[in-house]
Amino acid sequence: MVPFPAKRRKIRHDDSGEINSENVSEPSENDVGKQPTVLPKRTQEVAESALYSGGLYNSSMFKLQIDELLAQVQLNYEKRMHGVDEVLRRLKTLIEAIEDRDMLPISDATKLLYKSHKIVVPFPDPKPDPHAAYKLAYQKPSKINVVGSYALKTMIKSDDVLSVDMVVTMPASIFQEKDFLNYRYFYKRAYYLACLAAGVQSTDHDEFTLKFTYMNGNTLHPILVARLNSKEKSDSSPLFEVHIIPAAPENLFPESKLRPTKNSIRPKQIVEKETLAATPSPFYNASLQSDCNHEPYLKLIYSCMKQASGFKDACILGRIWLRQRGFGSSISDGGFGHFEWAALSALLLKSGGPKGHGLLSPGYSSYQMFKAVVKFISTVDLASKPMVCEAPGFIPMKSDFPVFYDGHRGQNIFFKMSPWSYRLLRDEATTSVEMLNDSTFDQFEPMFIVRIAQPLQRYDYLVRVPIPIGSSRKTCCDHESHITTFSNRLFDVLREGLTDRVKLIVIMGDNISPWLTKSPCPTISEQSSVLIAVLFDPINADRLVDHGPPAEEKKKAAKFQKFWGEKAELRRFKDGSILESVVWSPGSAYTIIQDIITYLIKRHFDTDTSRNLTFIGEAFESLLPDNGQTRAFEALRQAFSSFEKHIRDLDGLPLQLRQLSATNSQLRYSHIDIPIFSPRQPLEEPADVLIQFEGSGRWPDDVFAIQRTKVAFLLKISGLLQDFDNTIKTSLGLENEDKPMENCSFLDIIYQSGASFRLRIHNEREHTLLERQVKDKVLPQHTRDEALSALSTYKRNFLQLPLHTQSVITHCTRFPFLSPAIRLVKLWFDRHMLSRHVSDELVELLVVRIFLLPYPWRAPSSAMTGFLRTLLFLSKWDWRSTPLIVDFTGAMTEEDATSIKTRLEAWRKIDPGMNRTIIVAASNHDLTGTAFTDKGPSKVVAARMTALARSACKLLKDQSLDLTPRSLFATSTADYDFVIHLAPKFTGKSTSQNSAKQKFKNLEAQSELDLELVGFSPIKWYIDELEKLYGSFIVFFHSRKADSAIAGLWNPQIASPRTFKVNLTYASKPTTDAEREEVGLDKASILAEIARLGGDMVSRIEVHR
Amino acid sequence: MSKLGDYTILPIAIPPSSAFPKPATHTLYLRPHAPKIPTDNDSRSLFVVNVPMDSTPAHFKAVFVSLIGAGRFESITFEHENRPSRAPNSEIDVAVKKGKKRKRMTNEETIEVDVELPPVWDRELRRSGSTALVVFVDQKSVELALKAVRKLHKSHAKPGKWPIWGEGVEDKVPALGSARYLTHHKMRYPGHAMLQANIDTFMTDWNKREEEKTRLTKKQRNVPDEDGFITVTRGGRTGPARIEDAEAKRLEKEEKERRKLEGLSEKPFYRFQLREIRKAEQAELVKRFEEDKARLLRMKEKRGRFKPER
Repeated sequence: MVPFPAKRRKIRHDDSGEINSENVSEPSENDVGKQPTVLPKRTQEVAESALYSGGLYNSSMFKLQIDELLAQVQLNYEKRMHGVDEVLRRLKTLIEAIEDRDMLPISDATKLLYKSHKIVVPFPDPKPDPHAAYKLAYQKPSKINVVGSYALKTMIKSDDVLSVDMVVTMPASIFQEKDFLNYRYFYKRAYYLACLAAGVQSTDHDEFTLKFTYMNGNTLHPILVARLNSKEKSDSSPLFEVHIIPAAPENLFPESKLRPTKNSIRPKQIVEKETLAATPSPFYNASLQSDCNHEPYLKLIYSCMKQASGFKDACILGRIWLRQRGFGSSISDGGFGHFEWAALSALLLKSGGPKGHGLLSPGYSSYQMFKAVVKFISTVDLASKPMVCEAPGFIPMKSDFPVFYDGHRGQNIFFKMSPWSYRLLRDEATTSVEMLNDSTFDQFEPMFIVRIAQPLQRYDYLVRVPIPIGSSRKTCCDHESHITTFSNRLFDVLREGLTDRVKLIVIMGDNISPWLTKSPCPTISEQSSVLIAVLFDPINADRLVDHGPPAEEKKKAAKFQKFWGEKAELRRFKDGSILESVVWSPGSAYTIIQDIITYLIKRHFDTDTSRNLTFIGEAFESLLPDNGQTRAFEALRQAFSSFEKHIRDLDGLPLQLRQLSATNSQLRYSHIDIPIFSPRQPLEEPADVLIQFEGSGRWPDDVFAIQRTKVAFLLKISGLLQDFDNTIKTSLGLENEDKPMENCSFLDIIYQSGASFRLRIHNEREHTLLERQVKDKVLPQHTRDEALSALSTYKRNFLQLPLHTQSVITHCTRFPFLSPAIRLVKLWFDRHMLSRHVSDELVELLVVRIFLLPYPWRAPSSAMTGFLRTLLFLSKWDWRSTPLIVDFTGAMTEEDATSIKTRLEAWRKIDPGMNRTIIVAASNHDLTGTAFTDKGPSKVVAARMTALARSACKLLKDQSLDLTPRSLFATSTADYDFVIHLAPKFTGKSTSQNSAKQKFKNLEAQSELDLELVGFSPIKWYIDELEKLYGSFIVFFHSRKADSAIAGLWNPQIASPRTFKVNLTYASKPTTDAEREEVGLDKASILAEIARLGGDMVSRIEVHR
Repeated sequence: MSKLGDYTILPIAIPPSSAFPKPATHTLYLRPHAPKIPTDNDSRSLFVVNVPMDSTPAHFKAVFVSLIGAGRFESITFEHENRPSRAPNSEIDVAVKKGKKRKRMTNEETIEVDVELPPVWDRELRRSGSTALVVFVDQKSVELALKAVRKLHKSHAKPGKWPIWGEGVEDKVPALGSARYLTHHKMRYPGHAMLQANIDTFMTDWNKREEEKTRLTKKQRNVPDEDGFITVTRGGRTGPARIEDAEAKRLEKEEKERRKLEGLSEKPFYRFQLREIRKAEQAELVKRFEEDKARLLRMKEKRGRFKPER
């Protein structure tokens, strides 16, 4: 017995040993599972990078795209910047050769410079007192350095002239201790700059073109722009220019004196000293400090690049991101450009994180670093919570201006930003963070590629305000240009006055362009103006009453009254409260906001300015009938709900009612024309409604018989409705006479109110029956094709349309401006004669997509932005390889999106010539994406759509704010092969207009004639027949709104002669070449047929080709 | 040129209209009828190709009257008039008959069954380039007609020599243009009483057919065919189940089965399964990466948009 257990134990021992060894290996596997970034060594390199990109980047696709982007924007320094180094060296030699100038009083120094070199010293405003005690001098610079993107090699490709920054450090010896006060430093700097200009200019007159300009639009910082005049005339404009920037030596003045809370511009009158001395001059201080900090920041950024491998690429990404959003270092571009980005990132590597650590880690990938900075901008409000790094004991003040104080270098790096540009930046950053978090759709393109600077696509309403001259009251003693003072006040007034009607107010000024050295600095001319841009809050924008504080709060009430002046009134509201309030006359968001802005400018500035305001934006909505008021659809919606109630209340329906669903664009707020009806004038186009009964075995087991049985059902409903209310008129109509498998009957129901509905029965058994026929291999091919076509019509009309209608209704209520935007886009398609090819539903899907996936913007808050962004989308949409995906509920996953893409790719593989399924437009309801595009547009039409959208976007880009909206809707028929002009009698809605003119009361009752004409549309039927007869070789174009003409294009493929055979699908005639026995398309006889069919409706056929 | 292969060419002068003032000619191609399966009337029929869109018997009668005189034209059948089954139904041939015949004899009595819905157009249109079959009173007329056409070709007369389309038929056919659509608008709504009658007849007819069908299947079940086999048909004592129900049931069952299997494979039992799953996941990731790379390459080829807009 003994050996046995021993043996057994031994076995056990072995077992446990194995288990142990497995246990050892297991944790490492678990680790892999938890942290995909820690890789086991055995993994191949490919897998490594796949995992890497999955973890450190948004998705592997995103990483690949970023890599590609970085490679694309990479500047070819050798080619693009050829010769820069020589020019820089040359300039350096020139500057070093400049003779010192002795100390001179201001007046003498300027005069001398003007006499000898014709140079006007670019002193900042206020100009220096010529009798000031201090003197100006020039001495050799202590250092000449190249800084900025050129030195750091972070430049990106651009169409603009690239600039190279050359910093000339002035020697400390020309400055005095107190020079930081009262502009003394800046006067000396300006004089120094003028001397530099003189020096460069004197050597050779033709070598350089010299101009002064303000660096970043800061009037304290004039700089010299040198452009090399090329010797060969062939290449006219040089690719670069050198910015010569005079700088102060590091730490010239003590940091503590120039903190944002200190004042450096002492008032002249001693009387006011007590009140104003404490007012700080942060902008002045920061401008002075930034002159000392060119080199320190260069060093900082350089060291960060060395320290963190992703830093440089992150900076380039940031630079692209900012540029695409219109941000730049210049004050007029928002005051936050790539330099500020780099400086901010560099500082965040050292601080900003928890416990004083850096927010960023040097190990971050470029994408992570970029995202972290964007997230920082979006989440941290530096205006209400100023940030300080490395400046112990310094507590900055809260204000509207953002503060990120770099104590080590003594400068607020956000100092050039205005309150509105900072808000805009944060708003963009927030949107971008959302974009980066989107896991379903790839957001690379809106993130980096799309440029969103076009104001009409970006903002809802723009107002041009002329700058009043000289009337500015100085409110603080900081250095401010006149424009800045005006803009700041304007912003404060508008922000208080527009409250939550707007989400964003942005004020844009013009840049001051460079001026020649011999002329004085330009000042504001009479034409200069600023542009106010606002983004509506769609919910509050058209509110009629602004509520103020209650009357009891005396102080607040007084302030409110002071702000609003005579407009403020005390009102008692329904809930019993008595509030100060302002009431505006009813209108659209545009008219109300226009009233408010005009009133506020009149009250707070002057009448002249308020009279000369130009408002841009409302012209788009006014292109729509009834100015795009969604309310106009409510009457029909209400009529529909009462109709639904009637049907539900009917006793004696043969089967239990399941549901009634609307399927017409008039019932989903998206019809171009608003549905007008009155007892005298019934709704011309009855609104389609589907009725569905509970399932029953009594329906016949055959599609054909089902369609016929529907007739009996409809007759029954008609009888019941008339028993219920005999003022309701019903009539049963027939349709699809040549398609026996499709629905053959409908019931028109006309209420006495004039509302009319077209009822069809939905029977879900058709679906299975048709599917069975499609699959039945015994049936002849043409029957199966018919069944297939009937099935697709069934799916579209009975399954997709109700769902689609419901979703569009939901989103029209969610986004108040979706409805007018859809209608504008439809109008655009219609005016360009494409509405017969591009279905209503496809247009709706397009616009809904713009609202639901609005990136890089937010969801449009006006019809204009919705419309223009849809056009932009159309102009860029590559429908050949990209599906349109609309995620109505936000529940789609990446897999869904991928499967739709795969399906499109499969379509293209089957049918590379693209004869069918040109556009795939999928939604949650229809993952196949063909429900609304099965019957069009064709390739020709889709290509035309893209071409038209492109030219519209080009026009918008070229004309920008001067664009006449109507011009986007103008179309020409010159491109078509022939045009059928229709007789005026049959175009337009002449019948209804005539009847509307009669005003006799006794004719108010519904006349038989009006009722009979419900649904009468001869032109539509004419085109339908034309399409049926000739659709295989002519494409017809027609505009419903301006229906004076039908245009046609011959299919070029059948134009060439071919051998005669019996089954040609077009009328032919023998060719003149008798030998070959060929026939060709008989265009003349076809056109004559078209004329005969049209009869009295056609006035003329114009043949172009 | 008077002939194109077997076909004789007959140009028809189209009178100019105010909308299209250019005079045009329409070309008809004529040939004696010779179908693959001969019928009685072949010898006196003329096959016409490329008839105008607005052709009616009256039009063609006028054309042939002008060519060979009155009294010779009998009838014309257009391409889709003799169309095959409108209601495709694979199961039984009764259905095929229905669409074809307007008048149908049922077993005992003769009743007029109008199973088609009332027409909604007053005049049919012909597809561009379609064909027609003209029947004359005798064979001689066919030859005469072709001869007359040849003669016209030979006589180099003025352009006005060809038969004029629509001459003398204006008041014999319904007008085109707005009148046509107004009539269509009226005909679309044939009136409830008429539709009720129509649908009642249809239902009676349909029910009769269904009954017949059931009877037939019943018969098939009981009577062996000529080879002595009995066809297996649906339904027995309890009557046939609806195909949908059977299918739904089957699908449900399959689904259940599938879920059961899935449930088994979802939770791995052995460690090697876990490992395999993880491996598969990793492989999937690599595959996705490779796919993305390929997609990027394709985007690049198509000058994919990697350049920031300016």
